[in-house]
Amino acid sequence: MASNSITPAVANAAEPKGLPSPRQIGRFALRYALVIILAVFLVTLAISNHTFLTFSNMNVILIQVAANALLATGATFVILTGGIDLSVGSIVGLSGVVGALFAQDDGVLTCTEAVILGIAAGTAIGAFNGALVAFARVPPFVATLGNMTVASGLAFVASDGQPISGLSDQFLALSGKVFGLSIPVAVMIVVVVLAWIILARTKFGMHIYAVGGNPQAARVAGVSLRSNRFLVYTISGFLAGVAGVILAARATAGIATNGTGYELNAIAAAVIGGISLAGGRGSIIGTVFGFLIIGVLDNGLNIINVSPFYQLIVKGLIIIGAVFVDSVMNRGDD
Amino acid sequence: MSAAAIADMPQAAGDIAVDCSSLTKSYEGVPVLRDISARFLRGTVNVLAGENGAGKSTLFKIISGQVTPDSGHLSLFGEGIRRFDARHAQGLGVSIIPQELAPIPDMKVWQNLMIGREKSGFGLLRRRQMIEEAAAMMEGVGLSVDPNLPMKRLNVATTQMIEILKATSRQAKIILMDEPTSSLSGREVEQLFRVIRRLRADGVCILYTSHRMEEIEAISDTVAIMRDGAIIRHAPTSTLTERAIIADMVGREITELFPDRQILESDKPVLEVSNLAVKGYKSSVSFTVKAGEILGLGGLVGAGRSEMLEAIYGMRKATGSLRLDGRDLPLGHMKESIKCGIAMVPEDRKISGILTSLSIIDNVTLPHLNSFVTPGGLLENGKRRTQALDVLKRTKVAYATLGQKVGHLSGGNQQKVALARWLVTGTPRLLILDEPTRGIDVGARSELYRLINDLAAQGVAVLLASSDMPELINLSHRVLVIREGAIMGELKKNELEQEAILRLAMGRSSNGKQ
Repeated sequence: MASNSITPAVANAAEPKGLPSPRQIGRFALRYALVIILAVFLVTLAISNHTFLTFSNMNVILIQVAANALLATGATFVILTGGIDLSVGSIVGLSGVVGALFAQDDGVLTCTEAVILGIAAGTAIGAFNGALVAFARVPPFVATLGNMTVASGLAFVASDGQPISGLSDQFLALSGKVFGLSIPVAVMIVVVVLAWIILARTKFGMHIYAVGGNPQAARVAGVSLRSNRFLVYTISGFLAGVAGVILAARATAGIATNGTGYELNAIAAAVIGGISLAGGRGSIIGTVFGFLIIGVLDNGLNIINVSPFYQLIVKGLIIIGAVFVDSVMNRGDD
Repeated sequence: MSAAAIADMPQAAGDIAVDCSSLTKSYEGVPVLRDISARFLRGTVNVLAGENGAGKSTLFKIISGQVTPDSGHLSLFGEGIRRFDARHAQGLGVSIIPQELAPIPDMKVWQNLMIGREKSGFGLLRRRQMIEEAAAMMEGVGLSVDPNLPMKRLNVATTQMIEILKATSRQAKIILMDEPTSSLSGREVEQLFRVIRRLRADGVCILYTSHRMEEIEAISDTVAIMRDGAIIRHAPTSTLTERAIIADMVGREITELFPDRQILESDKPVLEVSNLAVKGYKSSVSFTVKAGEILGLGGLVGAGRSEMLEAIYGMRKATGSLRLDGRDLPLGHMKESIKCGIAMVPEDRKISGILTSLSIIDNVTLPHLNSFVTPGGLLENGKRRTQALDVLKRTKVAYATLGQKVGHLSGGNQQKVALARWLVTGTPRLLILDEPTRGIDVGARSELYRLINDLAAQGVAVLLASSDMPELINLSHRVLVIREGAIMGELKKNELEQEAILRLAMGRSSNGKQ
C-alpha cells in the first residue's frame, strides 16, 4: 500500500493518477452503463427508423412513460428505506375507478373534487401500507402484497367490475395539454424534480437514506424509523393515486384492472436505475434513466415491429443486466 | 461544532448526572438487571466493569431510553424519567456509542457525522455548512479524513473514531461508550482518550465499558463492578487494584489468566508458507508453523494479518505456495483446506464466524454435516446431539439448550461455539485464530486461552493474530510482526515484549535502532 501513515484512514488507497488503465475505462463504462445503453438505443432506433426520432414520437414516449415515472418515483422512496411496494398497480386501478365515479357527466361533484377523491383513495391505501409496515411491523412484502389484493378488490366492488365511463369533459381534459406540454408529462416533470430535491437536498431525504442504509444507526442518531417508513409508503400510494387518475382520463374510463402489473415496471425502473433493493443506495436520477430506458425500449421495439413476446424477454434481460452491473460496481475494489 | 465549544461548562462539576435507583429488568423471566442503584457525576469518567452478560449493555439501553425498566427510577440531571424514549433521552443530552459499529456504509462521512443534526434553511439542507462542520469536528481530534468519502471506504479503526466523534459532538452531556476500544490500536486509543479527557473537562459524564485493565486505570475516575445484573461495588478507581476488580467481576480470583506454555517437543512442520503474496499487497511472506506451536502474528490494525490468514484458509486470492503436513495445498480452495484439517475462527464472529440465527447444534455441526449423513441421505440427529454435547462440554460453553439460538449467547460463549465447531470430528491440524478474544470478558478469555493451549499440547499448530499484546506475548511460542503485508521481524519467546512488537509494527527495528 502506498500510504505512509501508520493506519491509513482509507482501506484501499486510491490508484495513482495517470493515463486511465483499461480497468478504469471499464469501470467508467460500467458506471455510466445506463447512459450508454440509452444512447445506443436512441441512435440505433433513429438510424433504423425515420418515425422514431421525431418530436411527436418523443412526446408519445414521454406520455407513455409518465404513469410509470410516477410509480417508479414512489418505488424509489420506498426501496431506499429498504422496503418494497407491490400494491401500486392495484392502487392505479382503484384511484382511477374512484376518480371516474365522482367525475361523472352529471356534475354532482366538480372535477377537482373527483381528482382529490381519486388521489385520496390511493393515498389512503398507501398510508395503510405504511401503518402496517411502520407500526404493526408487518414485512413490507407481505403488507403490500395483501393490500395489492385489497385495493384491487375495492376497485372491483366500487366499479361492479365494469368500466366507469361517461366522464366529464373537464376530467377528460386531464390528458390534454397545458402550455403546450401534455399534462401527464408536466406532472411527471414536477414530481421527479420535487423528488430529487427532497431526496438529495432535504433532511427528510437524508433520513430516508439513513433508515435504509442502517436502521439501527439511524435510530441511535434520533431519526424516527416509524414516521419515515410510514411517510414513504404514503407517498408511494399518493403518487400511484395521481397516476391512476391520469390514466383514467387517458383511457376515458375508470377500469379496475387498469394498472395490473404496473408495480413490476415501477420496481424494474428503480432497480435498473441502481436503487439497491437492500436500501440506502441509489438516486432518483438513476430511476429517471430506468423508466426512460423501459419507455424507449417499449416504444422503439414496437416501431421496428419486434413481437411483444420478444420485448418481454429483452426487458427481463435488461433488468438482470442492470442489477448485475450494480453488483459488480459494488463488489469493492479488490 | 467541536466538543470544546459546548457552551454549557461545568458550573459545578460534581452534580449528579445519572441517578439510578433500584432499576430492574428481565427478559422472558430471566433477570438481567437486579436492583441497580448508582450515581454518576458530571465531569467524571466511570467504567462499568463486568463479564459479558453482567447487564452493562442493558443498563446503557435504559439510560439511553431504548429499553424501559420493569421497576425502579432513573433521573438524569435531577429530572425523573417517566417515558423511556431514545429521542427524549437524546434531547436531555444522552449519547450512546454502541459496541456494534453503526455506520451507514453507503452514506458519506459528513452525512454520517451530521445525521440527526442537519442544518436546513428554507427546508433545504445547507450542505456546504454541514461538510465544513464535519471537517472541523474531525480536525478537532486530529483525524484527517475527506468528509466526502463514502463511509464504507474507511477501515474499522477510523470508522470507530468517526462513530465516537458522532456521538460525542451532539451536545452530549452523558456519553455511554460500550467497549469503544475493542477495535482500536494503541495510537487510536490515545486519540480517543484525548477526546474523553476533553469531554470530562467540559463537564460531561462518561460511562464506559472495557475489558482492558490498563485502560480502566488510565482513564477512569470510578469503577462500578457488575456481576449477574447487579452492581456489587462502586468505588473510586484509586482505591481498587486490578486483582480486586477482576476478582469481583468473576466472583472468584483468577490466579492466572494465561496457562503455562507447553514446551515444544516436535520439530515437525505442519504448515509451510512460501512466498505467499496476498492480492493487494506488494510483499510476500514465508514462514513455518510446527506441530504444537502457537505462532503469534502481531501488528497494527490494518497491517494485513487478517488478509494473510484468509489467504491461507483459501478465502482470499493469493499467489505462492502452501504445504500442509508436507503435502501441497491448493490456494483458494476453502473446501479443500477444511478437508485437510485447517480450521478458522475469523475476526468478526458475527459476520463470518457463526450464524446467529441458527441453533447451537446447527452451528457446531455445520462444517461436518457429511459425517452425520445416513446412507439414505438424512441427517443422524442422535449422533449430532451426542457429538455436539460432547464438544460443548469440552469447550465449557454456557448454554440453556442445544436448540438455543447462538445469537442469544453472550459474546464469550459465541466465540467458544465458533471454536467448538472445529473440534466436533477430532482436532484440526492447523487452527487459525483472528482476534479470538475481541470483546470477550476475562472469565471466558481465560477459558479460551486454556483451550487453545490444550489444543497446541495435542499437537495442533496454531496461528494466532491478535492486537491484544498480553495475549500475544503470553500465549505464543514465537511472534511474527506484520506491517503492510510483510514480515517485519520475528521475536522468540524470550524476546517477547510489548515495546519490541510495537517498534516492529511501526516500521522500526526491534532493538530501538532505526
